[in-house]
Amino acid sequence: MFIRTWPHDGREELKRVESYLGNNNDELQSFRHYETIDGCISRTSSFQIEQVKNNEENRVIALQHKRKTEGKTEKIENKKKKKIKTEDETESSMKGKSNMSNSETSSEIQKRDYIHVRARRGEATDRHSLAERARREKLSKKMKCLQDIVPGCNKVTGKAGMLDEIINYVQSLQQQVEFLSMKLSVLNPELEYHINELSTKQFQACFTDLPEAVSKQLMMVDASSFPLQHQESLDYSVINSIQTTTLGSKDQTSSGWEIHSQSLYNNLRTDSVSSFFSLE
Amino acid sequence: MERQIINKKKRVFSVEPNKIPPSEVFTRKYTSLLVPALKKLNMNKNSSQVNQLTVKHEVDMALALSAQEFAWSRFLLQKLSSSNNPTTTTSSSSSGIRIQERSGKEGGHEDGEIEEKLRELQKLLPGGEEMNVEEMLGEIGNYIKCLELQTIALKSIVQDTT
Repeated sequence: MFIRTWPHDGREELKRVESYLGNNNDELQSFRHYETIDGCISRTSSFQIEQVKNNEENRVIALQHKRKTEGKTEKIENKKKKKIKTEDETESSMKGKSNMSNSETSSEIQKRDYIHVRARRGEATDRHSLAERARREKLSKKMKCLQDIVPGCNKVTGKAGMLDEIINYVQSLQQQVEFLSMKLSVLNPELEYHINELSTKQFQACFTDLPEAVSKQLMMVDASSFPLQHQESLDYSVINSIQTTTLGSKDQTSSGWEIHSQSLYNNLRTDSVSSFFSLE
Repeated sequence: MERQIINKKKRVFSVEPNKIPPSEVFTRKYTSLLVPALKKLNMNKNSSQVNQLTVKHEVDMALALSAQEFAWSRFLLQKLSSSNNPTTTTSSSSSGIRIQERSGKEGGHEDGEIEEKLRELQKLLPGGEEMNVEEMLGEIGNYIKCLELQTIALKSIVQDTT
C-alpha cells in the first residue's frame, strides 16, 4: 500500500534517503529529476512513497531495505556516517514536517543502513537535494585531488576556473608529447646507435641509481624551446633536483645517487598521486 | 641486450618487491616498451620511410601498454588497434580555441558552462566519453600523471640523441 515498486538496480542510496526522511508530498514530483543524476539512477521515477504514517510502517520499510542493500551500505555507511541527532535538530528547524516523530524513532534502525549526508541549517532536506548534495560532495572531493595534481590550480577558485586549468594542462601535455614525438621522428635515423647506450642508461636510472649521462641530459633541457606555461612544476623541479645533486656530487657513491633518484621521483609523486595509482 | 634488461628487472623485483613507487614502475615500463619499438621501426623501415605518424603511434602504444591498470589505457589501445593513425591529440588544438570563445560568450548559466567544460575534458581523455563524470574525473588524474612521466621519458630519449 505504501510502497509500490522496489527498484533493484541503479543507486540504492536514493531509496534509503527517501525512507529516512519519511514522507513529503512535494518530493513525489521531484523524483523525475533523479534520472539525470549521475546517469546511473534508473527507474526512480516509478518509485513512489506515500505518506508513511506511523513508525511501524517505517520500520518495516527499513528492514526491507536492509535486506537488499546490506552489502553495499556497509561501505557507504562507513564513509558517510554522520550524527543522527544533529540531523534531527536541523529537521526540526524546518517548517511543517509532520513526520518528525517517524524519522526520530526509525533513525535508530536506519543508522545502520543509510547514507547520511549532513543537512546544514536552513538547507532543504528533501530527497532530491540530499542526493544532489551527496553527488556534489563526491565531485568536489575529486576536484580537490585534481587541484593537487595540476599546477596552478590553487590560484583559481571555483569549479569552472579549475576545470579550465585542467583542460589547458592536459592539452599542453598532449601537445608536448606530440612535439617530442615529432622530434623523435626527425632524429630517428640517428637513434640506432644512441638507443643502445640509452637503454642501458635508462634502465640503470630506473632501477638503481641515476647515471651522470641521464642527469646531464635533464639539466640541458632547454625550457625555452617549450614555451608552455605549465612547464614549471614539471621541468624546473626536476632540473633543480638534478642540478643540486650533480653539482656537488660527481664522485658520489651509488647509494648517494639512489637517494637523489628517489627525490627525482618524489617531485612527481604526491599523496594524491599514489591514491590515483592505487587500484580503486 | 634484452636478456640484460630482463635480468635487471628480475634483480630489482626480488630485492624490493613492494617498495617500487608506481611512477617508477610506469617509467620503466614505458621506456622498456618504447625504445625497442623505435629500434624496430628503424630496422624495419629505411630512414626515409619513418614518418611522424608511426612514431606517434608507437609513443601512444607504449603509453597505453605501460598503464594497463587504468581504464583509459584500454580505450587508447582500442583506438590504436582499430586505426593506424593516432587520434589522441588531434582534437587538442581545436578544442582549445573553442573553450576561449565559449567562456567569452556565456555570462550566466554557470552550471551549463561547467557541463560543457566537463564534456571538453571527456573528449581529451581517451574513452572519456564512455565514462560518467565521476569516473572520468578520477581517471583524468592518473592520465595527467602518466602524461607527465611520458613527457619526461621522451625528453630524455630525445636529449640522448642530440
